[in-house]
Formats: sequence, structure tokens, C-alpha cells
Amino acid sequence: MLVRIGLLTEGGYPYVSGDARLWCDRLVRGLGGHEFDIYALSRSERQEDEGWIELPPQVSRVRTAPLWTAEDDGVAYGRRARRRFAECFGELAAALCTGPDTGNAPDGPDASTTEADRFGNALYGLAELARDEGGLVGALRSEAAVSALERACRAPGALGAAREARVPELLTVAAQLERALRPLSLDWYEDDGLGSVDLCHAAAGGPAALPGLLARHFSGVPLLVTEYGVPLRAHYLASGADDSAPAVRALLAAFHGGLASEVYRRATLVTHGNTHTRRWQERCGADREKLRTVYPGMDASHFAEVGESPGTADPDTLIWVGRIEPAKDLVSLLHAFAEIRKEQPKTRLRVIGAATGAESEAYLGHCRALAAQLFPDEAEGIHAVGDNPVSFEEIGGPDAPTLAEAYAAGGIVVLSSVVEGFPISLVEAMFCGRATVSTDVGAVVEIVGGTGLVVPPRNPKALAEACVALLQDPERRERLGAAARARALELFTVEQNIAAFHGIYLEVVSRSPVDKVVLDGTGEPLPFAVPAEAHVAGRWTRGGIGVVARGGPSWATGRASAPVQATPVPAGEGAR
Amino acid sequence: MSELGSLDRPGTPDSPGAWDENAEDWLMGAVETEETERTEEAEGTARAAGAAETTASAAASAEVRDTPTRARSAAPTTTRTARRGTADPVKALMHRHRELCERAVDPLEIAAGLEAYGVTDRTAARFRHRDVFSLAEEMYARVSRDTETAPRPAPPTASGVRADWVLLSLLPGALCAATVTGLNLTQGRVRLAVATLGALAVTLAVRAALGRGPLSPRSHPAPPGSYASHTPTTTRAWTYWLLAYALLGDGLLTLGLTGGLDSITTAARDLSTAPVLALTLACAPAAWCAHLFTGRARRKLTASRGLADFTAAVKPLLLGTFALFLCTLTALVAACGTVLHEPAAYTTTVTLGALLLLARLLTAHGFTHAPAVLLGAAAATEAAALATAFASRLPGCAFLAVPVDTVVAAWGPAAVSAVACGGAALLLLLHATRTLTRASAHATPGEPG
Repeated sequence: MLVRIGLLTEGGYPYVSGDARLWCDRLVRGLGGHEFDIYALSRSERQEDEGWIELPPQVSRVRTAPLWTAEDDGVAYGRRARRRFAECFGELAAALCTGPDTGNAPDGPDASTTEADRFGNALYGLAELARDEGGLVGALRSEAAVSALERACRAPGALGAAREARVPELLTVAAQLERALRPLSLDWYEDDGLGSVDLCHAAAGGPAALPGLLARHFSGVPLLVTEYGVPLRAHYLASGADDSAPAVRALLAAFHGGLASEVYRRATLVTHGNTHTRRWQERCGADREKLRTVYPGMDASHFAEVGESPGTADPDTLIWVGRIEPAKDLVSLLHAFAEIRKEQPKTRLRVIGAATGAESEAYLGHCRALAAQLFPDEAEGIHAVGDNPVSFEEIGGPDAPTLAEAYAAGGIVVLSSVVEGFPISLVEAMFCGRATVSTDVGAVVEIVGGTGLVVPPRNPKALAEACVALLQDPERRERLGAAARARALELFTVEQNIAAFHGIYLEVVSRSPVDKVVLDGTGEPLPFAVPAEAHVAGRWTRGGIGVVARGGPSWATGRASAPVQATPVPAGEGAR
Repeated sequence: MSELGSLDRPGTPDSPGAWDENAEDWLMGAVETEETERTEEAEGTARAAGAAETTASAAASAEVRDTPTRARSAAPTTTRTARRGTADPVKALMHRHRELCERAVDPLEIAAGLEAYGVTDRTAARFRHRDVFSLAEEMYARVSRDTETAPRPAPPTASGVRADWVLLSLLPGALCAATVTGLNLTQGRVRLAVATLGALAVTLAVRAALGRGPLSPRSHPAPPGSYASHTPTTTRAWTYWLLAYALLGDGLLTLGLTGGLDSITTAARDLSTAPVLALTLACAPAAWCAHLFTGRARRKLTASRGLADFTAAVKPLLLGTFALFLCTLTALVAACGTVLHEPAAYTTTVTLGALLLLARLLTAHGFTHAPAVLLGAAAATEAAALATAFASRLPGCAFLAVPVDTVVAAWGPAAVSAVACGGAALLLLLHATRTLTRASAHATPGEPG
């Protein structure tokens, strides 16, 4: 079945420097049987100048729009449009100022629903205004917008922080809202744009999903949202770093929270990469029935050779691979290693990775100094030249030319982080069939399952005990390594990821029947113009058929839905 | 799978003695609920405990045992890992993340911050919470948030007086003075060449002066979109016309009404240079006034609580700045008249100067439409006066000159441009008191655009 997918990105695919472009690229290339329209929002002028990556033939169209700048189209509103704008924007401001509905979701579901309705209605009102009249950019910057914000902030029942807002804060909020609402002014929502796709797939939540929301509102296109990170959380972390006033942060947090819950409410399905993201999604009001876990996929082929031949490892070597930074807590690892050497004096530790940035460089220096202090150089005999049992190396060095060989060199792969998201090094170690000992952070437990040892973070003694247990038991090590490889191949391959999205696309499309009415030359509805075969891969319909909005006469919608013909998925089993 | 996980699980005290009844709720796990309404008494106790803990955590653990709460003394007797534990572990966590808690605008912000620090649901379980969110909610509810003492962002330092725009704003006046001197000293073709070159140089200098500093549109970096980054061409064309009229217009008008066409050359010879010199010299005070207005308005922006306050505060500022400019211009006109031995044309020059300043201020703040329209109207009025004056000499069209003739007979030829420019300036002033006093016209630079 041929599905036409509108892939929505923000600062991502197809730009060379985009986020998650690798994943999007694999997805688009992997699903050659479908057709992709890419709608990309660029994040900066630099990103636009750097150009696109090469696109496969199944991408039939790319439309881009800048988020970093907006042209005022010079439309000055008449009285009626002004009143409409003031109403919608005032409603939006009021929804923001009465507090984030995500924060108190548990104690008042009714209240939060009306709140979300209010936010959504205001958003769609503004979008309709922009579609009918244009000129939203200028209006959002106008005094009317600022004074609507002020009124909402001073209204009874407004947030404490919002009540403190002064004029500069109001101006900042208005400017930020204008920026955030720029997708509303785009001309993507016509019938020849997002209105013509079968489903919208937003590659991220937040701003990327906003066009999808509007396409759903205007043309009833189902929306699928994939979040490998939580945009709301990223917003909080970013806003914590800058020192804007509390009122600004409160209002913007309310906006992003409101946008997130609106996206979750309206989306047909929401996918996430790990439980952590899932918890945030649930917290922001996503219905559990809509949530699907799709683990990120990684290319396993590099690690196939190493994974197939577990005998090459040096059983007494511990490997740590990753980017060196304070959150990785190498200090704790070194202390753990000191404990390990009390039990197993022959053990060696290889820390493989590079430090980027001044802070990380300093941290690496600190770790080297600590290693030199804890472990004196040692030699084979009295005449040999000794070296330190802890070595710091980089990928590409003589002892670890490739990533796979780096993992291959050791019997146990250790992860000692205190903060992690979805640690890729752990998955790679599992692909290599290595037993792992990791700290219980981020998605580690989810990744490892029962195929490795997990210890609490910041606990060198526990880490050491787990490592010693594995060092002393080669059989268990081997068993865990094999199980880890099997698990990784089952859950974390690219093929798994693509197959999952393929299934989700079909599921979403099957849930939303195509209600397009095709008109003939005289404008009369043409019966049987879109037969089921229209959705079979390959093109046979003639071009130039006018497609109008969904929801035509009832006799046109009652047709049998297209047969679901599963396209052969490339290397579906992928487990070898 | 976490075989060793239990090692780190700090056992909370089995039966801790509470220091008062309210505190017992915390100890017995009531913290997990969203009961955020604590009595003042409990808050006070908690704060005292927190203060004790601040010192305790800095001091040796031996001192911890000396603190006079029984709960505290119970803590070290439990497991090894709970050696630093207190009866109220959340308190310690809040102390560690107090900056985050004080800054946070909602519980989710605390949750995000805690997660970035490495707190997971399993850590939250240690604090008897279901997940990080409910832990964050408790922290958010318990933090004493004193909004009054929240640090206000410092008012933006007004962009200082920069040498480049000061010098550039003086340049047109200097060049014009040089040109006028040249015109007075030369004759014939040389004079024509001097006039052409001078006009060109002054034009370029004015453009340079307006392209930088407080009079340039770029000095209000601006919401892209709502601000034109350049002056519209029509505004520029009308400005040139108005200046040319100030130079030649009155002479031409008099000719049109009275003399023959042959005396056009004499009109061209008797350029009234004093108004133009005064206006070019006024570039510097105009830039100063705009700088003053912008700087003061920004300061008022940070100081005012509401939009109405701001408008009320900026209106007198705008009028004051405008009056200041008018006074300076009048003085300049008088000085130029004296130096050049020409009659000081106060009304025409001052009204034209006022019109140009207001148009420039509005353009610089992004309101390009009204200035273009009103400058055009003024120029059209002047052009119409000239055209009717000359057309009246065609046979049978004498009636065309009647209105202009009446005005000129009553108040002299200067009255035409004075009325045109004065009327336009008045309308622009009204417009400016409505638009330039809005807060949105003064969005501070450095905002993300």
C-alpha cells in the first residue's frame, strides 16, 4: 500500500547539520514503497546555507520555511480582523496565564481539559486568521498583542509569576510567542500541500509538530508524533540556563507545556524511544493508548564480526567507551577499579574516548592524574619497562583503530555515568556480545534488560563487586554477552526501527479512512474516481485530478477501504 | 536485574521520633501526597531544621549527631549508606538544589533539573515518591518562594554616545557650510559645478548620517517583519523634493505669480541657502534628540509596571524632545540668517525641520507608512501651488492662481510651504504621540528575533 507521508522536521532532516537527520534518512530510504513529502523548518541562517543531504527518489517534494526570521507581509488588519485577532490572542494569553495545565493534571482532569481546549481553540483561531487574512507576524508584534498579554497577566487567577510581569517582560514574551507561532503563517496547509498527504509524521514534538496540528485541523490529516527527546524538558533546561525573568519563563513554559499537551491530545499515535520520554509524555497528558515505544535503531553491521567471535577478547580487560565528560563519572570508575584490583590484580582498564571542550579536557586531565596516583606503573619483571594498568586512548589510535575493535579488546564493558539519556555505547557493547556492568541511570535498565549487571550510580564499591563477579566467572560472562547480543539485535537495529514505523504508518492510515472527493471537469463529484488500487505502490492514476477537502457526501465515504498489501520490508528479521 | 541495587537503598529510619506532630507526617511518608498546605508552624520547624542541616552538612558527621532532634540521632543507627541521611531527606535534596528550586516556575522545571542531575524514579523512591514528578512537586510546594526579592534584570545600559554617529551627524552641516561658502565666492560655471558637487556631497553625507546612530532604522533592531530595515524610496524622494522647494520654491512661486519666465535664471542665482544650511546643521541636534528619546524611553520601559504607565511617562518625553529640537532649530535658523545676511525664514524652516524629524523618528521606529503619506501630501501641496501659479499664465486659466495668490498676498510666499509642512508636521505629531508612546515601538535590542 502506498502511503503519502508528510514528514515534518524542525532544524533537522534534510539539512546537513540537522538533528536526527540520520534517523530520518534511514527511515525514508528504508521505506522505498512509500512517498515522502518533507516539510522542514530551518533553525538558523547558517543551517540553511549549509544545504541539504542527498535525498532518495521517494522524496517527491521538499518545502522549507525559516523559523529564525519572518517577513511581515504588510497586511494591516481591518476592524473585524483586529477584533478577531484580539479575541484569539487574548484567549491564548489567558490560557497561558492561568497556569500550565500539565502541572496540575492529576487533581483536576476537567479543569485541565477545558484549559487545553482553550489553548487549542486560540491556536486554531490564530491559524485560521493567518490563513484568511495573513499578516499574523505584524499583529503578534503589535501593541494589541502586548496589551492582551498584560490584561491576561493582571486578570484574577493568573499565575503568581505572571502577575509580576512588567513591560519589558511582556515585550519579551510577545516576541517569543511571535517566534513560536511563525508556523501558523505558512502556506503549507492548502489542499496541494499538507492537505494532500495521507498522514503527517512529525520527527519531533514541539514546533515541528505544530504544522501537523494545523494540517489536522484544516484537512483532517492524521498526525503521528515521534519524540526521541522531550522538547518540553529541553525547553526547561535551556530556560534554566539563561537568566530571563520568572514571568517570562513561566509564560513560555506554559506555552510549551500547552503546545505539548495539545499535540499529544490531537495526535493519532505518539511514539517514544524510551520509558523516560514516555513518562514525560504521559505527564503532559498523552493518552496511554496512543503511546508506542519504538527504540532507536543502530547500524549493527560494524559489530557483526566482533559479535560473532567472542573469543578474541582479553578476559582481564575492562573497557569504557564514550565521550569523556564529568557526567560520565570516571572518577567513580577509577575508585571502583582500585577495589577490583585488590581482588583481581591482573586486571587492566582501558578508557577509550575523546574529550571535547575546556571542561571535559580539564576533567580528563584530572582523571589521568587520579589514575597515576591510584595505580603505580607496573612491569612484567624486574628488567621490563612498566606501564599503568589504566590507559586513556582515543578511537583511531594504534590499539583501538575502530570502534568495534575497541569493544572487542575487553571482556567486560563498563558504564559508570551518573546522567545518561539513551547510552549508545551500551547498545554497541551489546551488539559486540560483551557482558556489561552499568550504573542505573537513564534508559540503561531498559536497554540491558536481564543481559548485564546494573548497579546504583555513584557507588564504586557496588560497581567493583559486580565487575569482580563477572571477572571470576567467565562462563556467566559469555552467557550474558550472548544474551546481550541477541537482545540488541532484536530491539535496537535499524531494521527493527523501520519495520516498526512501517507498521505504525499502516495502522494510522487504516484508522483514518480517506474521504477525498474527486471532482470531474464540471465540478461534479466523480464516483469511483479513487478506487482501492490507487493506493497500490506505483503510479497509474492520471495527474491533474482535483482533490477537495475530506468529508464529502456520505455515499463517497462508504467505499471499501484499500486492501492492505504489506510491502516487503527489507531484511525484516535482521537478527543474524 | 539489579542484584546489587539494594546495597545503596538507604533504609529510612524504622521508627523515627518526630519532633512535633506535623513533622511526623513527613516522616511517615505523607510527603508523597500533594498535601502542600503546611501549617506555618511546620514551616518554621522545617526551616529551623534546614538551618541546622546547613551547618551540619558542612561540619563533620559527629556534629550531626549533636543536633537536638531525635530523628536525626536515629538516622546514623540505620544502614551504612544512610550515614548522611536525615529524617527529612527531601530537605537535604532541596538544600542541594536550592537554586533550582528557587528559580523554578513550575514543578516540571524542577523535575527537568533533577533529571539532568541524574535523579531517576528509583532515586525518587528513596524519597518515598512514586516518580521524579511527584518528588519535584513536593519540592516546588515546599520551597519558600519570595517573589518580592526575586532579582530584577538590570536595566539595559543605554547604548553610549558613539563617536562615529556623532561625527557623521556633524558632517552634512559642515559640507553644506563649505558649499555655501563656495557658492558665495564663485561665479558662473564654477559656481554651477560647486553647487552640483556640494549638493551631491551633502546628499551622501545625510544618507550616511541617517544610516547610522539613533536615526537609523537599524538602531532599533527589531522584530524582523514589523520593521522596515531601510527607508522607503517614496519617503526619500519626497524629502528631496521638500528640500529642493526650500532652496528654490519661494523664488519660483513669486516668479510664477508675478515675473516672466526669463527671470528663472535669476531665481536660480538667488538660492535661499540659509534654510538648507540650517536644516543640514540640524542633523546633529536631531540625532541627539533621537538618542535622548530612545535612551530615556528604554529606561522608562524597564521602570514601568504597565503599558499605561509607560505611555503616560513617554508622552511628555516625546513632546519635550520635540520642543527641544524646535528650539535648537530656531536658534540655528537665526544664526544662519545672520551669517548669510539673508532674512531668517523661521516658519518655513522650522515647520520643515519638525516634519522631517518626526518622519525620521517614526521611520526609525518602524512606522514607515504615515511618514511617507504625509511627506507626500506636503510635497504635493507645494507642487500644486507652483503648478497653479505657472498654469495661471496660460490664456484663460488665470482663475487657477487665485487661492495661491490670496495666500501669498496675505502672508508672503513662505506661507505656502509653511502651511503644507506645518499641517503635515502637526498630523505626524499626533500620530507619533499615539504610536511612539507604545511599548511595542521600543522593543529592546538583543531580543531573539
